[in-house]
Amino acid sequence: MKQYFLILLVGTLVLSACRKDEIDKFDGPSLTDIYGEFSVFTTFDVSLDSVNFTTGETVYFTAQFSKSVDWKIKITGQTSGAIKVLTGFGSSISQSTSTWIGEITEFPIFKNEICDVELSFLNEPDVFIDQVKIIGTKTNAGFLISDFESGFNAGWTTFVQSGADMDFQIKTDAFAPENNSYFNMAGTVDWDYLIGYVYFKASAYGAPHYPLSSNPNNEYFNIMLYGEPGTTNSIMLFQFTEDEDGNGGHSTASEDMYSQEILVNWEGWRLISLKYSDIPCLVNGQPAAPNGNGVHNSDKITSVNMLHLANPASGFAKSKIDYMIFTQNGPLKP
Amino acid sequence: MKSFLLIFFCCLSAAAFSQDGKKVQFVGGARSLISHGTLDPEAEDTISRKKSTGGYALIDLGFKINPNAQTEILGMIRIKNDFGGFWGAGVTFDVRQLYVRGVAGKIVRYQIGNIDYKLTPYTFYNNDFDLQMNSSAALRVKEDVNNYESFATNNNTWRQQGAAVDFGLNFPKVIKEVKFNAFVTRLNPSNLANIMERLYGGGNMIIKQSEFLTVGLNHVSIFDLKETAVGTPAYKNNVSTLTLASTLNKENWRLNINGETGFSSAGLVEDTNALTDYFVNAKASFELKKIGLTASLGYMNNGADFRSFGAQSKRINYNQVNSYFDRYTNDQVLRSTSMYDLYNDPTYYNASISTGIMVFNPAINNVLPFGVATFNRKGIYTSINYQDKKKFVNLDATYYRLSEVRGQGTSEMKKFDFAKTKLDINVSNMLDWKKAQTINVGWAYQATNRAPSPFGGVSLTTQALQVGGEFELVEDLFLIGNYSYFMSRGNELLAVRDVDGTIVNFTEYHIQARESYYAAGLRFNFSEDVYLSAFYERNGNSDSGLNPYALNQVMIFYVMKF
Repeated sequence: MKQYFLILLVGTLVLSACRKDEIDKFDGPSLTDIYGEFSVFTTFDVSLDSVNFTTGETVYFTAQFSKSVDWKIKITGQTSGAIKVLTGFGSSISQSTSTWIGEITEFPIFKNEICDVELSFLNEPDVFIDQVKIIGTKTNAGFLISDFESGFNAGWTTFVQSGADMDFQIKTDAFAPENNSYFNMAGTVDWDYLIGYVYFKASAYGAPHYPLSSNPNNEYFNIMLYGEPGTTNSIMLFQFTEDEDGNGGHSTASEDMYSQEILVNWEGWRLISLKYSDIPCLVNGQPAAPNGNGVHNSDKITSVNMLHLANPASGFAKSKIDYMIFTQNGPLKP
Repeated sequence: MKSFLLIFFCCLSAAAFSQDGKKVQFVGGARSLISHGTLDPEAEDTISRKKSTGGYALIDLGFKINPNAQTEILGMIRIKNDFGGFWGAGVTFDVRQLYVRGVAGKIVRYQIGNIDYKLTPYTFYNNDFDLQMNSSAALRVKEDVNNYESFATNNNTWRQQGAAVDFGLNFPKVIKEVKFNAFVTRLNPSNLANIMERLYGGGNMIIKQSEFLTVGLNHVSIFDLKETAVGTPAYKNNVSTLTLASTLNKENWRLNINGETGFSSAGLVEDTNALTDYFVNAKASFELKKIGLTASLGYMNNGADFRSFGAQSKRINYNQVNSYFDRYTNDQVLRSTSMYDLYNDPTYYNASISTGIMVFNPAINNVLPFGVATFNRKGIYTSINYQDKKKFVNLDATYYRLSEVRGQGTSEMKKFDFAKTKLDINVSNMLDWKKAQTINVGWAYQATNRAPSPFGGVSLTTQALQVGGEFELVEDLFLIGNYSYFMSRGNELLAVRDVDGTIVNFTEYHIQARESYYAAGLRFNFSEDVYLSAFYERNGNSDSGLNPYALNQVMIFYVMKF
């Protein structure tokens, strides 16, 4: 009988080890989210009336709902027309899901301006409106080659063909995706691919090389490119010349030059970001072996050459650029 | 040391395979079926065929070879001929069974090839099919055919292909004996591309301390063989359990305590979020020997994430499309699977283990769709068994009162009630008649409920009744008859799962189904294993009242086992 009671004891212990009710858990999506009625428990609100992104301030949005929903916050600059979209799924919007650091989703870039903020939902008709004022725009870490706000740098080299309707100059108008100015390139050259170029030499900034690290996997070249509506023939060629022997210059015959061709066949502004180590060596537009050591020496770039090309048979070509910047560890997030 | 342990089995096993000294024996079975069925829909139907006639003859011919007293080889082929097909058309040849078994070194018993295997209800177990109650008469004839075709035995084994070994050790002190069982089978072969070789292996160690106490350690694992496919992550499902059985046997009464507890993990090998959970199931039974009454009370708690596909695979494949009068009415609606179809069509039955949560029919079994190892169930169960000394009545009744461990879509949990009863009445024993007269009754009731606040309310009820009788008119000639009734009504929110078994949505399920069945006919027993049975059956079916229909069928079975 002693043994038997021992077994009973063990059995009782086993039974007492049974789990507690999982009353706070459930499997699958909430039935409330599927079948419940939508309502707003806490109204949509903005954490700051005015935000200075330049000083590192951020702004976030809050709201609480009766069920989990797909929500979308669209921030639109009243002056610039810049757009930032935040999306998420849940029964609340909080700092962790809606912090805005001043970046954009669609060009142009925000200015110091009043922004309209609109909260909407995927499957609900409700819309909530608020506003936030930008008193300092977001700054971007990196080496800025130019945003064309300070005019043409005397250290740059330029050449423009003598074709028809040529227009190679900095313009200041509402087209600018960032701040107020950009570089405009246009013209018809029916005898050559080259319409014009600008060489952005490192020497224009007081040094033989751009101040980049030696790791080409960490260095990104970024530029805002504008595709003119009605034209798809602009070709932007970016060349990166290296000074491998450290003599302060670039020798095409014995040193590397990496090139990236971009056919501008879209409309409007677009951010192009290139990791330096991904940029190939091109000869006449075709991949080729570099003439130098074959290593992407990002710390030895002497010049960024920008050439505006177009098929001479294709007629008038036009494009714009703005905000050329080298960033580290990732593409630019304007 | 030589008295410390004693290896046994050898004499017993050797005797088992000697087969009366015959080197070669023929074993197998034969069956022939002729049937004629008609479909009688209430709605206008000028498109579908209303009658179906067919039949077949088959023979399973096995050669059992005993090259020596310790070895047995069985090879069985099937020749099947659909009536009307000759000279190749309609004739099929299949290999039905192959194995080698024997005793190695007079110590280890082994079997290679086809093996019928099981371990425990939570590790490796072929559960009875949904709402199986007490089939008799015509339904028993059909159920026997289905079981034979799907290799299902009365012992809840799964037919697998692989190898199994077992051996035992006897001890003079402390422990009486220890038995070891191990197996490995192949669930699916690699396609040499993106599907890996999947195996199922495991075993147990049963320690019998005395007549009073037996403890078992069990482990099974479904696993992929790495590098047998490219770019596919390997899967695993491990289950380890501890079983305990204790018996206190007195002159007038006996007390049994049985239990099993363990844990499982399931998921990709490199997935740190693999599902893990555990279960407990314990039962105490008290038997009054003089009265023939046994009462049991048990408790079970199966975690919501407990996965043991060797014990949770269903015998019925509800993805199977109805092949018997599959469409009807002028709208050519699909005829949904009914209880009648589960008896009528052997192709509904699985012969393999499925690695994943199988589809189930909530109208037929919503409480324990994956057997006693069904995950996300907890509660008590009780049963009564009564067998009078004259063997006039045998009553078996079980009731489960369960709930979910974890809610689905809501923290509100579903509650389940499940009652099932089997009653066998042997009229011959009561009246001292020489001719066999038996009546078998089965009844099952299931209810699923969840409070309707504020939504997600569930109320689903299922009830099934089976009555069958076999009455011997003259020697070996039986009048057989059946009546059965099935109904299910209410609503449920069914979980929609992704390929990993995670619930991603819910679908509303509404049912208002009613089904009745009766059959009458004769059966003549040529011997214990050979009989001829002919019967007429009618099944009336109303699924949500939309497209009621009736099926009438005459069937003639000739069944032989040798």
